[in-house]
Amino acid sequence: MRVPFEWLCELTGIEASVDDVATRLTNAGFEVGAIHRAGEHWDRIVVGEVVRIDPHPNADRLNLPTVNTGSEEIQVVCGAWNFEAGDRIAFAPAGARLWDPYADEPVLKELKPTRIRGVVSRGMLCSTKELGISDDHEGILVLDSGAPLGRPLAEALGGEVLEFELKANRPDALSVLGIAREAAALYGTQVRSPIPDDRAGEHGPSQPVQLQIDDPALCARYSAALVHDVKVGESPAWMRDRLEQAGVRPITTIVDATNYVMLELGQPLHAFDWETVRGGFIGVRTARPGERLVTLDGQDRELTPETLCIVDAEGPVALAGVMGGLDTEVTDTTATVLLESATFDPVSIRRTAHRLNLRSEASRRFEKGLPPELTVLALRRCVQLIEEIGAGRGEILTADAYPEPSDPAPVALAFDRIERLMGVAYDRGEVRQALSSLEFGLDEVCDELRVTSPFWRRDVTAPADVVEEVARLVGYERIPDTLPTGQVMDLAPGEIDERDDEARDVMAGLGFAECVTYALTSEARMARLVPPDLLDAPPDSPLGDEDAWATVRESAMDGAGRALADRLLPLDREPLRLRNPLSMEENVLRLTGLGTMLETLRANRRHADRDLLLFDFQPSFLARDGDLPEEPNFLTAVIGERVSAGRWNETGTVELPFVRGVVDELLARSGLPADEASHDDLQHPTFASGASAAVAYRGRLLAAYGEVDAEVAEAFDLDERSWALLVDMPAVREASAGPPSFSAWSEYPSALRDLAIVVDAEVSQAEVNDAILRAGRPLLQSARLFDEYRGEQIPPGKRSLAYALSYAAPDRTLTDKQADRAHNRVVRALQHRLGAELRG
Amino acid sequence: MQERLDALLTSARAELAVAADDAALEQWRVTHLGRRSELTGLLRSVGSLPREERREAGQAANAARRELEEALETRQTELRRGADGAQLDVTMPGYPVRLGSLHPLTRTLREIRRVLAPLGFRAVSGPEVEWDRYNFELLNIPADHPARDMWDTFHIDDKARPGELLLRTHTSPVQARVMEQIQPPVRVIVPGKVYRYEDRDASHEAEFMQVEGLAIDKHITMADLRGTLTYFVRAMFGPDRELRIRASYFPFTEPSAEAEMSCHACNGDGCPVCGGTGWIEILGSGMVHPKVLADVGYDPDVYQGFAFGMGVERIAMLKYGVTDIRSFYRNDLRFLRQLR
Repeated sequence: MRVPFEWLCELTGIEASVDDVATRLTNAGFEVGAIHRAGEHWDRIVVGEVVRIDPHPNADRLNLPTVNTGSEEIQVVCGAWNFEAGDRIAFAPAGARLWDPYADEPVLKELKPTRIRGVVSRGMLCSTKELGISDDHEGILVLDSGAPLGRPLAEALGGEVLEFELKANRPDALSVLGIAREAAALYGTQVRSPIPDDRAGEHGPSQPVQLQIDDPALCARYSAALVHDVKVGESPAWMRDRLEQAGVRPITTIVDATNYVMLELGQPLHAFDWETVRGGFIGVRTARPGERLVTLDGQDRELTPETLCIVDAEGPVALAGVMGGLDTEVTDTTATVLLESATFDPVSIRRTAHRLNLRSEASRRFEKGLPPELTVLALRRCVQLIEEIGAGRGEILTADAYPEPSDPAPVALAFDRIERLMGVAYDRGEVRQALSSLEFGLDEVCDELRVTSPFWRRDVTAPADVVEEVARLVGYERIPDTLPTGQVMDLAPGEIDERDDEARDVMAGLGFAECVTYALTSEARMARLVPPDLLDAPPDSPLGDEDAWATVRESAMDGAGRALADRLLPLDREPLRLRNPLSMEENVLRLTGLGTMLETLRANRRHADRDLLLFDFQPSFLARDGDLPEEPNFLTAVIGERVSAGRWNETGTVELPFVRGVVDELLARSGLPADEASHDDLQHPTFASGASAAVAYRGRLLAAYGEVDAEVAEAFDLDERSWALLVDMPAVREASAGPPSFSAWSEYPSALRDLAIVVDAEVSQAEVNDAILRAGRPLLQSARLFDEYRGEQIPPGKRSLAYALSYAAPDRTLTDKQADRAHNRVVRALQHRLGAELRG
Repeated sequence: MQERLDALLTSARAELAVAADDAALEQWRVTHLGRRSELTGLLRSVGSLPREERREAGQAANAARRELEEALETRQTELRRGADGAQLDVTMPGYPVRLGSLHPLTRTLREIRRVLAPLGFRAVSGPEVEWDRYNFELLNIPADHPARDMWDTFHIDDKARPGELLLRTHTSPVQARVMEQIQPPVRVIVPGKVYRYEDRDASHEAEFMQVEGLAIDKHITMADLRGTLTYFVRAMFGPDRELRIRASYFPFTEPSAEAEMSCHACNGDGCPVCGGTGWIEILGSGMVHPKVLADVGYDPDVYQGFAFGMGVERIAMLKYGVTDIRSFYRNDLRFLRQLR
């Protein structure tokens, strides 16, 4: 909402500076987003007068006005035709600076003398766009005939415009008068209302206009006034200036007058050419099936049954509060006009304006809810203006339908309520003063104030509303700083799990950089997590159909892979889809963060060749029938091929055990000891076969990790081996045993024995490890694998594993003999149970 | 005795000075400090001296021993500085340390939680996909209310219940969720992701983080709100910060207030960070609307309290001097490492 400062001052009598007014209004809740100072860039632009207009000798579309600048006469070349000799115009001589009307961004350009089609132009007649007043570049700006010749343009135009960022609760503030009421209350001046007194008796209705409101819930009031002897033409300069400054384009007298009233009082008006309205009848009702209307923009629209329209005796003539009809539009030949001033249902107008994407200054005001009392006041003011500018002869009020007048009840406010809410005292005089300056009616009964809102303040309906009025008018500076006291609450529902913080700390400690990624993604991004030929779906298409997935599940996954696909990587589930995505790149909520994380890995790979360890700990979204989706916080980590190891430039290559180390530490720190969970082979198309594993606890999948399948990596444009880790942290939490418990170790020296065995390659390390621990009981304290070997020195199909074993007794130092005996038991057990051979 | 010790020390020092490697040092150690060394012999002979001399001789011999041991250690250190005798360059960079990092938004959220915890605020979370009822209706924003324009909303395409599921546009729905479940006193903060149907640019994100604060009891006042916010900005941005609040409008608070703090970069003098005004908008707040309280079953004549909400990225941008909000979601390691 743009309010010319001069207009505001006229209605308030305020003499303060524009900055001061802007600050005080902002603090009171009427935020001034910007102060536009038209003219602050005007340089040497003066009021000139067109002396004569000669034709251009070489171009029919150009003319040669000669301009009196007050001190000399200058001939220029001009392409506009909307002026005549004797008009006062804004003249920019060569050397002046103007806004470039053809630039995309606002740019000031110095005007130079130029030769146009053989004639030299030493200046320019300016459009409002070149002056930076509006975006209108059609024709030049013609000033009021009283503009001072030869004086700087700022004296004739100029002035500051306050641009307000207004809130949804104050329809009254969408008007100069509404802002003026606030400003006057803040400055202690009297509002000079522009609404003329009721002179209804002077111009009685000349003919009956029949009004009919079908549903008062949709149209609380409809008031109308006829204007006779209409002269449609250009409005006077003062009116056009104000409209332009307020951001409304001047059109013709009648329309300008209605727009002026809308800006001034906040009530949108509509003008019908009365002769085109059939049957002397105006009705307000919703559209009937099959009804159509050609609106002002020339569109032939079919009206849906919920559309509120204005109808004449035969059918729709306007979309109520949104747009008029073409057939009843006021034209150059209109002789009689019917002015409509009505109160429409905010919800109905809002829906229609949204549905048709026709949001206008008028609909914006109706949407916020206008008071019915305003309709007749606005008509009165509009008729006065029309007469003042010589555009017609109006009736004050021809017809008025107001079926169910409403009278809001006063709000009762106990004085002590103010202090109770604000935490600071306000004395009664101050309260009364604040409220009456805003024109609230006050009635004091004992310790209670009965507050009656002025009709334009329907937003004030409860004591807290009244308290706010007092507080903001006195000023929030009054409020002191105290801290809340009293009882502290118990555990809150939905309390954030501190273990989430711990998991992040563990991952950071393990070398991973935390990422925060978007929840919105595309199906294509998730589809890339499966090799393209597998689903036989075209690239960048949805995630494939049910049958294709059934086949994939059958042929490309083992049990662990299917468990992974069921929850942690549920690519065959239907994602939650946005109805109104910003783009197809982010039209669904993610089922997994892995796609986004592989992209992040790729993006970082462009500038880093090692230590690409990233993790993300944000929810995935799994739809549930009839309920909100489940939003489990899955942890997703990705790892590049090389990591720093040792001296400056030394790197190690990431292999599966590297990732396992991360998994084990994360699980252990989450309360699940490493040896509790089992690691098994994983077959899933996202992961490389034979280089990935699934982690389960009591049959429930907790995590999956491994090398990303080569084709998948390629789909993400990754140029090296990459690794991924997915952890179902909520499942880990459920499996975890709580805080770790202490167990004592032997205080006596340990006997250390190394053990190197050769076993069949099919025998898993877990089996060997398990056999060692069982056989070593009770003296074996630990068995640590320190090497694996396959190769020349070992028969094919076999591998060698080497362990460091530590033996100790709780109550004595073991002798060498005792340790040897225990160790030999372990060796024999391995030989018998697993067919192991000792390696020499 | 002392003379023999002196002679012994002199020759030992001379020999040590020319010992140039570990083997020579070991040889020296055996010769001068070993079991068969002269010094050890002298120490053993102390016992045979007359009682009155024993004490002094013993002390002298032990002092000599300590001196030789220290000399050996010093010489070892000298030799280790470099095989070629060059000094170790302490300006060499350390070996790469592979320690990861927490995201700056995580760090900022933790700091906010840490600052508010002593005032009794507990951190809670709620769903990001939300019912219209919680995101709007229970916050005094009925359907078709123009205030809905304040939040450009992503809607979930849900055939079964069209128009009911959406991506929450603020963390405020968790206010209603908490209050529905427990009776006052309530004191919670709600960190979490929110969504706006909005084109991205340097200062706008379609996905971003908010922290909501809510305190409800019988006597929580607007002054308590102001005091809490003052405490908060000083804890986050330094003890010199001033707070000012001005009237505003949110459908779920009445009265409502916009809070600004004096600019931490220029101390209020005006600079590019604060756009020359000396003040920075930091959050929106107000006293919880009686209708919001009533709708969750609280008696608004008994209970009252305040709520506030802030953008976490905005706080982090101010704290770390980040100028483009999208940086937080690009996850460029150079950015993450800088702000670790």
